[in-house]
Formats: sequence, structure tokens, C-alpha cells
Amino acid sequence: MLEKELIQSRGFKNVSQGGKVIGFQVPFRTSYYRGVWLSLLKPATVTVDGEKFEGAQITWTIGGKTYAQADLAKYSDVNWPYLEPAILTVSKPGGLKLGIHEVELTYSYVASYIPPDMDSKRLVTSKRKMVLAG
Amino acid sequence: MTITRKQFLQVAAGAATLAALSSSSVKAAAKGKPKRGVSLYSYTGDFGVTMTLEDCLADMCDMNAEGLEILANTHIDGYPNPSEAWINNWHALMAKYKIKPVEYGHWVDSRLHPGRELDAKESYAMLARDIKLANRLGFTVMRTKLGVIDDTLTPVKNWREFIKMALPDAQKNNVRMCPEIHAPTRLKSKMIDDYVEFIEKEKTTPWFGLNIDFGVFQNKPRRDRRSQEMGSARPFEPLDKADDMIPLLPYVHVCHAKFWDMTDELEEATIPYDEVIAMLTKNGWDGYMLSEYEGPRDLGAASDQLRKQHVMMKRLLGEA
Repeated sequence: MLEKELIQSRGFKNVSQGGKVIGFQVPFRTSYYRGVWLSLLKPATVTVDGEKFEGAQITWTIGGKTYAQADLAKYSDVNWPYLEPAILTVSKPGGLKLGIHEVELTYSYVASYIPPDMDSKRLVTSKRKMVLAG
Repeated sequence: MTITRKQFLQVAAGAATLAALSSSSVKAAAKGKPKRGVSLYSYTGDFGVTMTLEDCLADMCDMNAEGLEILANTHIDGYPNPSEAWINNWHALMAKYKIKPVEYGHWVDSRLHPGRELDAKESYAMLARDIKLANRLGFTVMRTKLGVIDDTLTPVKNWREFIKMALPDAQKNNVRMCPEIHAPTRLKSKMIDDYVEFIEKEKTTPWFGLNIDFGVFQNKPRRDRRSQEMGSARPFEPLDKADDMIPLLPYVHVCHAKFWDMTDELEEATIPYDEVIAMLTKNGWDGYMLSEYEGPRDLGAASDQLRKQHVMMKRLLGEA
């Protein structure tokens, strides 16, 4: 099951490659009430204790596949399932220190049935005090 | 627009079944009254957090709410290609909880590709895929959400073109495509005139019609917390009256029983349900009213609010 908050605790951790910590992961559930095609997503930003990450520093993993933020627009036939948290992997050599962090996430999505002007102004922001345990 | 009762019944019954109706069954249909159901959208605050799909269906079953609406992109695992196992389990769940799949909510995502709108062929492809899946799951109506181009929710310019392309698919798969008429759209408006003109000119009944969201009948300011947060408490002007819907009834295949705020007196605080249900009953409209709770998404709120709303509707329908 999902946690009620957008940013999910399970899966919040540092990630290693070749024995080195290369960054950390922030899983989050969609704030939208439906699953969406990846091309409807707009890039995310992640801010941890005031340090902001964006653009190519972040990748999205959905359905076991990893996408560069700039490539999301190409995947109009891949669905982000409603019940599956997307995993944002943030590049940060050395990762985060174990302990408590203030994590803030922003992203957005396109909803074609909302007036265009209002739709383009949407920005979803979610903040949560997170505990990094590994 | 004035129509006779006979004309109304003919249109409402639908071209496909009309030939089979004897005069006695037409008389029986006149005694029809609205039926109750639930849109699983109502459970947005709980679904996947404290409630599974089966929990939602069990909750509906408690209220004897027979008709079901799902949101395809939300409630179908593996959408748009669910597994055979999932589909088999789906039909088993419908039987177990005595639930009838009524409305399949889906979207024509006209802004799917950044910087341009879908052309008619692309929109049709999206529609055709959902029409087939809706039929496989047993649905007979679709809430066909169209993209819009302005603040008054005018649909995309090519909607007539791709809806016409999809009409044979809808007929073949026994599903009725219905855009939702939702506030701020008014029942007396150019948008409604355009839909009605299209329905009559292209003879789309019953394969393309309307879903009326009862939010259009809101006549008091909302008090619920969600309305304050979203800054959308006041009713839209001019107020729509229940009787304003009568001319549209031949084209209405389903309604969203929108609500935000059921009181402990078992009344909706902002929508005159007594007037709306009396109008539908008097006119023999026998489609499904699918509850759409859109108040605060606190855990457990939807179940509590739906139960109150269904007691109210049972009373108004003479079922309690």
C-alpha cells in the first residue's frame, strides 16, 4: 500500500554503483487521481536541506525502467500506474548522511480538460521530514 | 425543445433495442426511476492507502449501490493492457459484490505531445482502445473526457471528427460515449446546443450522449474545507434548475451524483437533491446516478459521506 504523503518513506535511501555511493532515491506517489502517460509529466526538482537538484541531475524510474527527465516527453505510450511510486534518483556523489533531512519535491503534469492557462500554471509542491537510514 | 413522451422513450431506449420493444414494455419503461451507483473517484483519498479495489466494492455493496464507475487509468492494473488473470478476477469481483459495471471513465488526452494537440486520427486511436477495454470489462457507458481549449471548457475543435470515427466502434462494443457536463458549464449554453445539434444531426443516440454532473445544480456556497483550499465555494451563475435538464434527458445516459458535504441530517448542503431526483423520477429517467464525492480527502471521509448520501437517495427514491 501507499503512504498517504506524496513523498514515500519506503525506498528513501542512498544508491551505490560499483561500490561507490553515487546519489540517493526519493520515491513519490502521484498527486493526480489517475495514472498518466509519461509525456504528460513535467520535470521534477528535489531540494534536500536547502540544496536543489534539477534537470539532468534527476532520473525517473517507473515500471523498472529509467528515464532521463528530458526524454519523458517521448514516451506517450508508457503509463505511470496510479498505485506505483515513481523513483527519482538524484545524482550526488557520496549521497546523503544518515539521519533526518528536509526533502522538498516539485513536479507537474498536463491535464487536457483543464483550461490551458490554468493547466500550464500548475506546480505540485510536497515537503516532508524524512529519515535516511541506509 | 418539446418532445412527446413517446418520442422521449424511443430515443432513451436506443435505436438498437427499439425494434424489440412491444407496447407493454414501453409502458413498463415509463415507470422506470433512477438507479444508484458509485464512482470510485470518490475514494481517491483512501484508494491504495487504506483501501484496495475490493475494499471499495465491498463498501458499495454495503449500501446496495449497484452501478459502478471506475477511472480506467487509475483502477485497472496494467492499464491499458491488463492481464487475463486481472480481467478474470474483475468479473469474479463484480459477481461477488453484486455490482454492475456501468461507466468507464477515460480521457482523450489532447495535449499528450508537448506543443501540439492530437489530430483526429490519434484521438480516435485512443478512444478505440478504451472502447474495446470498456466492453471487455462489461461497461456500457463511457465518461469520455475531452480536452478543452478555453476557460469555458469548450472542447477541442476536432471533437466531432473523431467522435464520428468512433461511433461504429461504440455500437459494435455496446458502449455509449458521454462527455461530462460539469460546472462552470451551464445547461443552457452554446456548448450544450453544440452537443445536442451534433447528436440530432448525426443521429448518434445512443452511442454518443451526455453525462450530467449534478454539480451544475449547486445553489448554495460550499462550506467544506476542500472548497476553501481550492477557492471554489460559490455556485456558478446563472443557477441551473432541475427542470432545465428535462429537454436533455433523451440524451443523458448517466449522471454524476456529485456531492461535497452530507450533513448529519442526511442532506447535501449545497445541491437540491430532492428537486433533482423528483424531476428524474417524474420523467421516468432510469439511468444510473453515480456518486462522485469531491469533499476533503481525509482517510475514511469518502465511505462516511457516501453512506450518508445513499441513505438520502434511498429515501428520495422511495427505497427506504
